[in-house]
Amino acid sequence: MNSFLTPFADNGSIWLSVLLPAAGTTASLTITAFLLAVILGGGIAALRLSSLSALRRSAQIYVEIVRGVPVLAILFLLYFGLPGYGIALDPFTAATLGLGISSSAYVAEIIRAGLDALHKGQREAALAIGMKPRILYQTIILPQVLRISLPALLSTLIALLKDSSLCALITVDELMLTARALSTEYFQPLQIFVLTGVIYFAIAWPLSLLSRRLERRLLRGRRTVAG
Amino acid sequence: MSDPATLAATILPPLLRGAIVTVEVAAGAFLIAVVIGMLLALIKTFGRSLPLRACVDLYVETFRNVPALTHLFILYFGLASIGVKLTSLSAAILGLGLIGAATLADVFRAGFQSLHAGQREAALAIGMTPGTVLRFILMPQALRTTLPPLANYGAQLVKDTSIVAAIAAPEIMFFARSLVTSTFETTLIYLSAALLYLALSLPLSFAAGRLEKRLGGGR
Repeated sequence: MNSFLTPFADNGSIWLSVLLPAAGTTASLTITAFLLAVILGGGIAALRLSSLSALRRSAQIYVEIVRGVPVLAILFLLYFGLPGYGIALDPFTAATLGLGISSSAYVAEIIRAGLDALHKGQREAALAIGMKPRILYQTIILPQVLRISLPALLSTLIALLKDSSLCALITVDELMLTARALSTEYFQPLQIFVLTGVIYFAIAWPLSLLSRRLERRLLRGRRTVAG
Repeated sequence: MSDPATLAATILPPLLRGAIVTVEVAAGAFLIAVVIGMLLALIKTFGRSLPLRACVDLYVETFRNVPALTHLFILYFGLASIGVKLTSLSAAILGLGLIGAATLADVFRAGFQSLHAGQREAALAIGMTPGTVLRFILMPQALRTTLPPLANYGAQLVKDTSIVAAIAAPEIMFFARSLVTSTFETTLIYLSAALLYLALSLPLSFAAGRLEKRLGGGR
């Protein structure tokens, strides 16, 4: 046990001084990709409500394909594949796009489930009293959908944070790639990767707790048959 | 290399060999995840010992909030540095299995919680032992309700095997990467790899969707 801990005492502060800025890159990558995923996913969810069946179908196919393909394959296609067509993306942009696209399918499903959870009568009533569809969505539908989908959206954010580690494989200088470089420099992979895991945990766990709290709050007042 | 037939003959055999390893890794990890996940769920649902339940929580949180790649690197590179040398395949199966156990623990627990407490009380009251109640009354029903999420987990798992290429386990993505460096047909190869994953995971997610509809229909 001591031989496991001593390297932390010797090099821990140096490691942290390198890993923490990399965690910053991980965080900004995660947040940018999440924003992209929410925008794309919201668009896809809206398409699935369209009155044109062709649009509905293509949105559905998009979701099925993106959910069935590993993030890594999307990242490799964007980063290594696109340059063959004259589109060379820098690692960070490719990573943001790849993570954003892959999460957008999940976001779209979450928003759709949120829309499904609302009672139809609300929409009909608002339209009946002469509300414009735009106002209806802005003031009645969207606030409720966001409330309902917030816990699941947070879970997606956590999944995205974890997936961002894969961007190390397309040379984004994020936490995992930095840890890998450190481990070859110091020959203490166990300690360095455990420390890396702790950093990821420190970011993800509060989000998990928040997600669960929001979920419990949503369910409050609803009786379940849990024994 | 431009001749489609030769190209297919170069690309397909390694990718298919990789697909077999992908299925093996996914199957092995699935098995570990189901066994450990069920154990964790049983402790969380029926266990009375507080420290034991706290351990389960710690396990689930640790595996849920840390990327799979970090766990794989700890198992493969980390353990090797202290003399525990796992092959890339066994590290891959063990890693994905342990991560999956955390996911399935919650799935199974939800399955048990969906059962009415009265069932257990009634079975105990007519003299069944707790073990028999679990085996013949609770487990079959809990497993039935957890089938859709289990199939979903399987689909997810097939995709997650792609990351074990990072510890040199010879699955689809691993072969795809080495093919790219030898043929430079980047887009074609990664697209084929993506299609292979899609072909492996789509049936599982369709099954999940159908099971969900079917099981929900009876209510």
